[in-house]
Amino acid sequence: MSLPHTVAKLIDTSSCIGCKACEVACQEWNDQEFTLGTGGSYQTMPDLAHNFWNLIKFNETEHDGRMAWNMAKYQCMHCVDPGCLRACPAPGAIVVLPNGTVDFNHQNCIGCGYCITGCPFDVPRLSPKSSKVYKCTLCSDRTAVGLEPACIKACPTHCLSFGRREDMLGKAERRAGQLQADGFQQAGVYNPAGVGGTNVIYVLAHADRPEAYGLPRDPRIPWTVWLWKGPLKWIGNLVLLGGILGTFLHYVRYGPRRVHDEQE
Amino acid sequence: MSRNEERLARFNFQERAIHWLAALSFLYAALTGLALWSPRLFWLASIFGGGDTVRGWHPWGGVMFSLVLGCMFRNWAGQMRLDADDRLWLRQAHRYATHDEEGLPEAGRFNAGQKMLFWTQFASTLFLFLSGLVLWFPEAMPRSLRLAAILIHPTAAIISIGGIIVHIYMGTAAVPEAFRGMIQGWVRPRWAASHHPKWYRELKKKI
Repeated sequence: MSLPHTVAKLIDTSSCIGCKACEVACQEWNDQEFTLGTGGSYQTMPDLAHNFWNLIKFNETEHDGRMAWNMAKYQCMHCVDPGCLRACPAPGAIVVLPNGTVDFNHQNCIGCGYCITGCPFDVPRLSPKSSKVYKCTLCSDRTAVGLEPACIKACPTHCLSFGRREDMLGKAERRAGQLQADGFQQAGVYNPAGVGGTNVIYVLAHADRPEAYGLPRDPRIPWTVWLWKGPLKWIGNLVLLGGILGTFLHYVRYGPRRVHDEQE
Repeated sequence: MSRNEERLARFNFQERAIHWLAALSFLYAALTGLALWSPRLFWLASIFGGGDTVRGWHPWGGVMFSLVLGCMFRNWAGQMRLDADDRLWLRQAHRYATHDEEGLPEAGRFNAGQKMLFWTQFASTLFLFLSGLVLWFPEAMPRSLRLAAILIHPTAAIISIGGIIVHIYMGTAAVPEAFRGMIQGWVRPRWAASHHPKWYRELKKKI
């Protein structure tokens, strides 16, 4: 038996010029209504939105006393162990496709928002109109017919690539090696192990400081989510079934409490 | 039982109405809550109109139950204080459960078990209400509060539902006639004298 290969998106932040072509392509392909974010920044929107799934964060930082922009395209990371899926109560609302894409199925989504709490990257967003949750689909409607995601297609600098996960990891390592040879000693690959790895992989020139790119250092599914969907579930089952079975057995063993000294 | 048997008023109409409003809203909130508790229990949602409906109305069921419980609190909180006899009773509650009641302190209008149920429901509903507000509007709430609420809400629900399972059993199968006391509002004097002797003697004194 051969499984379909897992795909991944590679984002080489060192060659991103912040042109926002990926944002436009995402909006276009997914037919989103454009709502302009608040001003005061080069960034299109302050944050992701239910109708804005792909955002280049213009992270202003300082390197060696000089201002620098750490541009990083932000979207769903398509975790190998997705926290959103762990938290979801509605069967089939969040699915992992055979190629590793984490996709939301809106017929089944009930809009409870638990996935927002389960996500270690704070990505899903509730739509006030439809009361359903939205995020990047990794263009599952394109990849299903052999096309690359819209953002990849639009990128003019080849900072974005898409393909088999192993190939992308190899490419990322080679690019990080190149950057190290160019003097960026901390260059490396962002593929956080805490969520089992991600199908969106970054090359960072300063991989020792992922926060400088707006990425969490060690993302994990929150421990309260783990406790909630793990041990607490068993305690709940035990109380429910134990309560019903226990009262029933009590009746069988001791019967009802009758009124004392009754002659009838 | 003769037709003209003496009847003792156990719960008045207002008490009964509040109790059954609480019961119905509790059942709705609990069953729809279980549907949202696990994908394996999601089939419960189809009984109540589907996932979207349940997500929309479960919180209102909870608000309804909380309000009604507030009325119940006003009705009964004063009568639910645990006295020295109640504490003694609770320490030997297993003897009540096994019908070995020789020497157990006598119960008033509510026995110590009923009082404990009242306070357990009161506390768990307070937690359910507050954590429920956080879960109701996830995007308006800070992440840290949501992470706490996803643990507090089900924990309080487990305690609450566990208590109600025992309560339903006690009020129906385990203590015959108690159910009629809460539906029709009256019990036989003999029943009162046996189950709630202190309350029975108080009533007798008044007559």
